[in-house]
Amino acid sequence: MKNMNLGQQLVEYFINNGMYVLQQFSRHFLISIYGVLLAAIVGVPIGIWISRSKKLSDVVIGIANVIQTIPSLAMLSIIMLGLGLGVNTVIVTVFLYSLLPIIKNTYTGMQNVNEDILDAGKGIGMTAFQRLRFIELPLSMSVIMAGIRNALVLAIGITAIGSFVGSGGLGDIIIRGTNATNGAAIILAGALPTAIMAIISDGVLGFLEKKLDPSRH
Amino acid sequence: MNKRRITIVSVLAMAMIFLSGCGFPGLSSSSDDTIRIAALNTTEQQILASMDQQMIEHYTDLHVTIISNLGSSNVSFEAMKRGDADMSAARYDGTDLTTILGKTSSGNPKTDSETVKKAFQKKYGFTYLPSYGFADTYAWMVTQATAKKYNLNTVSDMKTHASELSVGLDQTWMKRSGDGYPAFQKKYNFSFGTASPMQIGLVYDAVSAGKMDAVLGYSTDGRISSYNLKLLKDDQNFFPPYYAYPVATTKILKEHPELIKVLSKLSGKISVSTMQKLNYQADDELKEPSVVAKEFLQKHNYFEGSND
Repeated sequence: MKNMNLGQQLVEYFINNGMYVLQQFSRHFLISIYGVLLAAIVGVPIGIWISRSKKLSDVVIGIANVIQTIPSLAMLSIIMLGLGLGVNTVIVTVFLYSLLPIIKNTYTGMQNVNEDILDAGKGIGMTAFQRLRFIELPLSMSVIMAGIRNALVLAIGITAIGSFVGSGGLGDIIIRGTNATNGAAIILAGALPTAIMAIISDGVLGFLEKKLDPSRH
Repeated sequence: MNKRRITIVSVLAMAMIFLSGCGFPGLSSSSDDTIRIAALNTTEQQILASMDQQMIEHYTDLHVTIISNLGSSNVSFEAMKRGDADMSAARYDGTDLTTILGKTSSGNPKTDSETVKKAFQKKYGFTYLPSYGFADTYAWMVTQATAKKYNLNTVSDMKTHASELSVGLDQTWMKRSGDGYPAFQKKYNFSFGTASPMQIGLVYDAVSAGKMDAVLGYSTDGRISSYNLKLLKDDQNFFPPYYAYPVATTKILKEHPELIKVLSKLSGKISVSTMQKLNYQADDELKEPSVVAKEFLQKHNYFEGSND
């Protein structure tokens, strides 16, 4: 074991534990995705709602900003007091951190919709819902998507820290690496897939964002 | 039309995720047929937790999720008390006697373990299942060179040089009451020049690399033999016996009585040397605890037919 270099150790590790890494990888991804999805379900309507009123938007974005400033380890501990150990705590933490980018981007996207187009919509007799559905949402979709993309990359990083409250995921591998002899290879075996996951999700969502950009049609 | 259908489907899908509330598909986070096993951040605990998990999944239809990386046995105890976990991968009767129950060892390991079992059943509703068969204990260890230099054989031998020694201690042991460092100082009547709290997994490397003169580690760690460390005899019998048991809440055993049978199959099957070997594989041979556990169980055919 000791006469192998880091690269060889890494290969040896993946040969020994490939299945395990794969399981943790999918678990890690699911935790992040659930948190971000929940945040999107809650955040997008809030973003739309506050785009109607300047006063409301200041308050809501202010609150989301404050949430963002809490260090993630502290946030995990606070939520753990209520929800206990395990995966749910991490999902809620991810949810809270994802709110700001999603709300803010939805708000910005709605604000940037050209007034003239909305007037035209009104002129041809569209209801408020129709204007939202056919004008505002399609035009702001790529900006909203950019927010979700930000949130997901952030979420993957937070989920790694979630291992401290026993949620599993790739963070488990990293923490174990700090405990083992010759741990460098194990730490890398946890950190590299985490980074790759972030890069790939960023790429995929970036592609979606471009697809949804109305100016490219 | 097609677009509207996609919208409806996605709204429904999201609503379903939302409604399923706490139970997220694919994570077996919390549902009736999920057993949650608490494990500490030590290799030994993680191997045992994986073994329990694989035994339960092999013999029953239950799902198992491991709550790993807990900081101390107190945390895992609280997790069970709060209902965050249904069982602990391993609790050590000696630790529970002195820390949770706040008693001192009677000197007789058997009476001690009976006391703990009874008190846990009565006070907390936790059931001690049959022991895995090995005892883990804290042990002072030094390199052979240090032992020669200061002529060390027992813990008491360190007394004359204690002020010049720098030692590494398990961070949970350092402050805990009962059998922790404060009690140790009282019993042996000396304290060390510098005592640094450390992550338990790192102490073996620290002492063998000469960064520490002596460390307090686990007697079951595989690295003791691979680094040729010398264990110092606990001549004052300060550390009570720490036999390792799976411990489950009586509530979950009532709901799933088959667990008792499954977990009893491991009873007495893991000796100290077996545990050292398994720990060594995970600590030094780049294997994950769950892989080590799987290989061990497959080699023994999941202890088919034992203790039925």
